[in-house]
Amino acid sequence: MTLTLFWKWAIAVFLVVLLAAFLALCKMAGSPKDAYGMLRYALPHMHRGNLKVGDDAPDARLLALDGTDHFHIRERTGNRPLVVIFGSYT
Amino acid sequence: MVQIYNDYKEHADFLTVYVREAHPTDEWQMKSNVKDDVCYAQPKNLAQRVAIANDFIKRFRYPIAFGIDDIDNAAESAYSAWPERLYIIDESGRIAYRGGMGPFHYNPDEARAWLASRYGTVKHDPPAPAPALNSSDRTGAAGKGV
Repeated sequence: MTLTLFWKWAIAVFLVVLLAAFLALCKMAGSPKDAYGMLRYALPHMHRGNLKVGDDAPDARLLALDGTDHFHIRERTGNRPLVVIFGSYT
Repeated sequence: MVQIYNDYKEHADFLTVYVREAHPTDEWQMKSNVKDDVCYAQPKNLAQRVAIANDFIKRFRYPIAFGIDDIDNAAESAYSAWPERLYIIDESGRIAYRGGMGPFHYNPDEARAWLASRYGTVKHDPPAPAPALNSSDRTGAAGKGV
């Protein structure tokens, strides 16, 4: 009987915490739809990464705007500091 | 970032890397994207990425050098760069500045501070105060931000 009561309370507390977390996420994201979007599409792709100041900058091949030519990030380094801006349109 | 580019392009090189869309129509689209008419599905191939990148360049007359990440997202993965992030690579090819993860920790002012520490601060005149809206201004010109 006592154990059953304990589990009832445990489940109730868990649900309340879960609801509070979801409401907080909704507030942060803007709406329940945005909260879902953040959980489904954003968080899995956001990584702090292991790069540190002083590490060798990784190289990667990029495509030019003409859709034909390629170049490497590291081709643009060496003479002056290179500010690299990652982003998208949306 | 364009302002920082204009301020320091004589001292540093700049490169924009276009990575996977953050808020495409088929994933987590934002109301602001609809309002701003920036509605694109997540590109499934490089041709689609190239098309969107060119739309962006044309719409904003974006002046900074531009490269498009491969469809396997190699650059994004190497730099943990999604959805947006800033780095500065020094002349020896090492990371000199690593910005925080966007959007919450994306802070161009930190990159500006790094450049300013090397090349000096570039000051801008504060924006002119908006004219007071009084009877003589009620001609339709007020509020246009000119």
